[in-house]
Amino acid sequence: MNRRFVLALTLAAAALGGLPAMAQKSGGTLVQITQPEPPNLAPYISTSAPIGQVTAKIFDGLLEYGFDLKPKPALAESFEVSSDGLAITFKLRKDVKFHDGKPFTSEDVQFTVMEALKKNHPRGIATFRDVTAVDTPDPHTAIFRLSKPAPVILKALSSYESPMLPKHIYGQGDIKTHANANSPIGSGPFRFVEWRRGEFVRLDKNPNYWRSGLPYLDRLVVRFIADASTRTAALEKGEAHVAGLGAVPYNDAKKLALRPNIEVSTKGTEMISPIVELMFNTKLAPFDNAKVRQAISYAVDRQFAIENVWFGFGKPAMGIISSNFQPSGLFAAGIDFTVADRVERANKLLDEAGFPRKADGTRFEFVHDITPYGEEWQRFGEIVQQNLAQIGVKVTLRYEDLPKWLKRVYTDYDFAVTSNFLFNLPDPVLGVHRGVHSDRIRPGTVFVNGSRWSSPETDALMDKAAVETNEAARGKLYAEFVQKVSEASPVAYILEVRFPTVLSKQFKNVIDTPLGIYGNFATAHRE
Amino acid sequence: MKSGSLGSYIARRLLQTIPVILGVVVVNFLLLQLAPGDLATVLAGEAGGAPKEYIDQLRARFGQDQPVYIQLFNYMRNLLVLDLGYSFRQSAPVLDLLLARLWPTLLLMGSTLVVSLGLGILMGLLAALWVRTWKDHVISVAAIIVYATPLFWVGLMLVLVFSIWLDWLPTSGMENVVAFHEGWDRVVDIARHLVLPTVTLSLFYLALYARLMRASMLEQRGLDYVTTARAKGQSDRKITTRHVFRNALLPVVTMAGVQTGGLLGGSVVVEAIFAWPGLGQLAFQSLFARDYNLLLGIFFMSAVLVVIVNLTVDVIYVFLDPRIRIG
Repeated sequence: MNRRFVLALTLAAAALGGLPAMAQKSGGTLVQITQPEPPNLAPYISTSAPIGQVTAKIFDGLLEYGFDLKPKPALAESFEVSSDGLAITFKLRKDVKFHDGKPFTSEDVQFTVMEALKKNHPRGIATFRDVTAVDTPDPHTAIFRLSKPAPVILKALSSYESPMLPKHIYGQGDIKTHANANSPIGSGPFRFVEWRRGEFVRLDKNPNYWRSGLPYLDRLVVRFIADASTRTAALEKGEAHVAGLGAVPYNDAKKLALRPNIEVSTKGTEMISPIVELMFNTKLAPFDNAKVRQAISYAVDRQFAIENVWFGFGKPAMGIISSNFQPSGLFAAGIDFTVADRVERANKLLDEAGFPRKADGTRFEFVHDITPYGEEWQRFGEIVQQNLAQIGVKVTLRYEDLPKWLKRVYTDYDFAVTSNFLFNLPDPVLGVHRGVHSDRIRPGTVFVNGSRWSSPETDALMDKAAVETNEAARGKLYAEFVQKVSEASPVAYILEVRFPTVLSKQFKNVIDTPLGIYGNFATAHRE
Repeated sequence: MKSGSLGSYIARRLLQTIPVILGVVVVNFLLLQLAPGDLATVLAGEAGGAPKEYIDQLRARFGQDQPVYIQLFNYMRNLLVLDLGYSFRQSAPVLDLLLARLWPTLLLMGSTLVVSLGLGILMGLLAALWVRTWKDHVISVAAIIVYATPLFWVGLMLVLVFSIWLDWLPTSGMENVVAFHEGWDRVVDIARHLVLPTVTLSLFYLALYARLMRASMLEQRGLDYVTTARAKGQSDRKITTRHVFRNALLPVVTMAGVQTGGLLGGSVVVEAIFAWPGLGQLAFQSLFARDYNLLLGIFFMSAVLVVIVNLTVDVIYVFLDPRIRIG
């Protein structure tokens, strides 16, 4: 940890895509479908999923990331972490201009991190918690000063997670109700032109983009179509060219993949890493018993759910941390709940826990709440219901709308078991800790530790991993952590969803980052 | 003299609607308080989780930390100067959001009214003239089938047939977002996009009006005044067009007025299928987001629309049937 840790990045922008600018065909309009329509275009105050799909094209981040989650230069040409991990120095590009023509400087970085993200961004509040100041010795150097090391920051500087804002625009007036919340101004490859609510957002090529020759596309239109069948029809007919992150139902994605003009890719969720879970209320009997929780985790047929509900777009989860973290060394598997004799094991665990089968063959019953995110969640609930019937547990399903469900699960804790959909995000500190850390048991705060389980050992492991700057050492801490969590199983980690992205073959290079449809599409071009 | 009394009648009717609309707003405001969960939780939920401080901060900003009666009082006070508030979820004033959706809504409603009333009346008229022939049976059976078919299914089938298979019309949206036509090209483009949603939404009402028109025509034809007219030696054709048709229209027009409210509701489905940017979809989204400022604004605007349409219907009566006096 005291080792000097330097990571200088290559200067040449051309090295980025590795593609010569002249070889690609310029021009054309790409039509993207995003579902649902974003509530606003203010990624600095909301991380609502559809917002980033639009704004990641308009703003730039300090860094970009490869599929191995390793940083690449963007607005920052290079960065250097001090030996104690308490200072990160970014060297900024000198040729970057915002869409209004004003230059991008370290002042903008300071404003974005300290005033916008650290105070208002739902995740930025946590990511930048330990940043005490951003120093600006000159217009092209920004130094993050930290109260303790925070390796998570270097994973959270993409244009999606931490968009760099022009201070001269967003620094004027109240940022929470800013006039530009719906007409964003950034430095990205596309500039905002028009948003017709209920229809589309139109973005045109930024002719002064700092990567010369890019973007190739003249225009990007993001359309909003509320009905799933119509979205599929629009893609099939070629009226729209790209849709991802659940915008196309899984069975339709499978059907569309058979068409000659369409391809379906499962790349582009490496930095999102969504996991389907069953969360237990560990303060409520019988789910206060780890054996019962493990038994249920064994009983759920993950492969069946993947094939029949998610139509093959997923793989069994091996623990609290997604296997997408394998390349960066942070992944480790916990107890294997997919073993062949899992049903026998589940039965045995329930016998041991003191829930023998009664005369009618059942052991106990409970109400299973379903994540209100659409039809596949109802199907998944039915699978859980059937799987648990096999081990003598009777399940009744309950489906409510989102506000009601959030209140029931995260405010009133008035549930027994609920399905849930949490993202690991670019780093476990952001997406994983919140689910099981004791300091995240907060009534009224959604998508945190709703099982209310925690242990001093796992808390300590997470606290250590959060400040450990050496990836290998972090990986060891997380391996131990994953094992401990799977022994307690406050949550049954069911499967990792690989969202299908449906793409027209007319366009190439659309999904070329681990952020997928949250990428900036600068290198996307016509065939 | 007559136009003067008509003017004062309209003015009086408009005055009478003010308490109606205020009542609608108050009732809706209180009803919405009963729904569990609030905008702050939804915003935090959409964000994939947020600290408690963030949620409390949101609630204070939305004024939700105040007692309900104060919130209601504030809302009503602002409403009197047509300030419909701010949609925190959409980061825009409610009035702007509503006005942006108003013209697509009126376009769809208007074209649907014209098509469903026009064709419905025509089909009802023909069915009545051909009563108890095979043509009448075809029209009546077709009307029943259309009336009983769910809107969303009709919409999806039309997309499948006319967009995907025949490739005549666009699947969805209001205009071509690759071309962005201008001038007359744009008018034609929007008209092409309007066809399928209008047909879908019209079919249901068309069937309703056709059946009503047919029944109404048959009833009028049996009345004494028709016998009188025939005794006077008027031709069948003249009796039908001059007398029976005009009188038979009255119930259909009444029904059309009553159905406007329903038209707004039915358009939620059609707007969703065809991605038509109208008020219905906005209402649907804001309900699930608990965006009450916006939702109340939509209720307010719908109430105003319904009142205006019904007033128009009452005025049309006068022209259709000189016996009806206003004032």
